[in-house]
Amino acid sequence: MHAFLSVGSTRFDTLVSSAFQERFLSRLQRKGFHSLVVQCGNSAFDLADTVEDGEKLKLTKCGIEIEYWKFKPSLEEEYRKADLVISHAGSGTILDVLRRGKAMIVIPNPTLLDNHQEELASTLQSMGYLISTTVEDLPVVLDALDMTSIKTFPSFEGARFAKIVDEALGFI
Amino acid sequence: MLLLVLFITLVLVALSIAFRIYTVLPKQATRRTNARHKADTYSVAVFLGSGGHTTEAITLLSALDPKRYTHRTYLVSQGDTLSAQKAVDLEVKFGSTPQNYDILIIPRARQVHQPLIATPLGALQSLLACVRYITLAPLYNKKRPTFADVLILNGPGTSFVVCLAVYINKFFGLPAPVIIYVETFARVSSLSLSGKLIRPLADRFLVQWPAGTGGEKLSSKQWLV
Repeated sequence: MHAFLSVGSTRFDTLVSSAFQERFLSRLQRKGFHSLVVQCGNSAFDLADTVEDGEKLKLTKCGIEIEYWKFKPSLEEEYRKADLVISHAGSGTILDVLRRGKAMIVIPNPTLLDNHQEELASTLQSMGYLISTTVEDLPVVLDALDMTSIKTFPSFEGARFAKIVDEALGFI
Repeated sequence: MLLLVLFITLVLVALSIAFRIYTVLPKQATRRTNARHKADTYSVAVFLGSGGHTTEAITLLSALDPKRYTHRTYLVSQGDTLSAQKAVDLEVKFGSTPQNYDILIIPRARQVHQPLIATPLGALQSLLACVRYITLAPLYNKKRPTFADVLILNGPGTSFVVCLAVYINKFFGLPAPVIIYVETFARVSSLSLSGKLIRPLADRFLVQWPAGTGGEKLSSKQWLV
């Protein structure tokens, strides 16, 4: 199986650092994963210098083949390839991943100015659509992970919004 | 005596401006359906506020029939190439020609991690750009004499600035789009700052979580994005 770890458009130092640690990788391997892609963004971590100029690098640790880089114009391809997405709790990423029916673990970023990531993450967790945790607890959560227990997110219903706009313009 | 006359004049001017603003604010009775001339096709404008805001805004726009909403204007913050790219991607999906859409760049009111104190100057820059696009440009454009029929906003801060520019149009009786604000999916139990600011100004104000304060409440499974 393949995992994708993403921090979005800003940075998340502790999450990216933990992705390269044995504590995390060994558990990932035990769960049956063989590869991991890490989108680092502008995070500061041990290997940050090596991808500074947009390089795409690879290394193998604890039986996991890791590929890491800063940004890509679109993450759609990465979401599609992944069996599990581990990410910051940005609403855009959450919608993108859940709409593709992928298992997701989110880690609200505690350093953001107005931390509403936390409430979205915990609400969606209570509804059973994803798992929300912290950087510290991530390895423990991986140990207990049962991807089949995650509920399927409802699909996009464009007609709802289309009706509102039609109404506002006096169509209906 | 002169001072008194000046004072009374100022008060009268202030009062008439306040009255004008009051008359252009959305009224409860007209909030749901705005009496407008029926046309076959409409133009829609949207502000792409970067990150999750952009994802949601693009999702909302993807719901609109391109045969009815034939022209789209994307307002994108300076340097936000990801949002501009997402707009282009959507237009490709719609099978559009370059005549079907515009991407306009506005300076950012505030960036993530930037202190709140840096807001006023940046906001003024953004406002000037918005006034140029929304108020001034349509006056000289024979082909597109209105900015848009409907404007979709979902935050963050710059949305409010876009909204203010629309109110300048309303103030002077110029064509102005219907403003639809959709609070972001990220806001579960409270409104965002832009939501609070835009709430009295929007023609339709929608929240996506039932506990979210104010707005037209939708049930928990009634997400718009």
